[in-house]
Amino acid sequence: MPEIFDSHKKKDEGGLVEVQKLMTSGRFRNYWGSLVIAPNIKFESQNEGEKIIILGRKHFVTNLGWIALICFAFFVPFFWGEFPLIADVSDNVHFSLTVLLYMTLAFFGMMNFLLWFYNVYIVTDERLIDVDFFGILYKNINVTQIRKVEDVNYSQKGIMSSFFNFGDVVIQTASEQRSDEVFGKHGEASPFTFGAISNPNEVVRIISELMEQEEREEYEGRIR
Amino acid sequence: MEIFPGINIDISLSLIVGIMVKMLMLILLFLSIIMVRQEALMDRVVNLPMGNTLKTLVWVFFVMTLILTTIVVIA
Repeated sequence: MPEIFDSHKKKDEGGLVEVQKLMTSGRFRNYWGSLVIAPNIKFESQNEGEKIIILGRKHFVTNLGWIALICFAFFVPFFWGEFPLIADVSDNVHFSLTVLLYMTLAFFGMMNFLLWFYNVYIVTDERLIDVDFFGILYKNINVTQIRKVEDVNYSQKGIMSSFFNFGDVVIQTASEQRSDEVFGKHGEASPFTFGAISNPNEVVRIISELMEQEEREEYEGRIR
Repeated sequence: MEIFPGINIDISLSLIVGIMVKMLMLILLFLSIIMVRQEALMDRVVNLPMGNTLKTLVWVFFVMTLILTTIVVIA
């Protein structure tokens, strides 16, 4: 008898045309990069059988500000003698000050790198997850179902984003819930804003395809 | 300068800056242990393949800060 309905039938990322196209292209496979397609990772609260389709983070270019600051500050101890007060302290204190400056720079660099590296956006075949860490003591994790997504759009502002091809992907959900603190403090248009993500057009295309697939499944009565 | 009867301390710029640097090194040491903990929590939220490398890096930084703080405080 032909199979008419199977409630256990699951979709896989291989079924998505866009994902398959990107996977065969061999691009977006580097875990240090800002966009990874079909990564082999795990995350907190991942459901059994849930497949990760996109792992994204801000484009590396967004780190140039603090990298430039560190490069500038690195040379400051070479000119200690030019600072009137510091020139008067003993050699022992000079050494301590230099150690403090370099350790602070190392700490600043590592903290910024960790924040960039772990501030990730995850798109699975069921949900969207936005993991935000602000500073080293505050984290905010937003999760929504793909079927609750109403609208996806992206914007690219400025020379840098056009040149390096990154932008903000804004995902509007049916939920009225807003993370006010996030909204107020960091100016995000929605709790699901994938800020400065690389190749935003590809991300939007994949999410749109997932939404279509979800609608098709809903129509066929195969909602998980 | 006689702060207490019989106790003379020569307050100089080096002394003040030295004390401030020592205090800042201790604060940095405290922040680095927070960073070690936070990295472990971040790794738990998103378990990436290079998470262990970063964990090692952060621990190395903490140990280095500990050693240098000890040197600076004792010096």
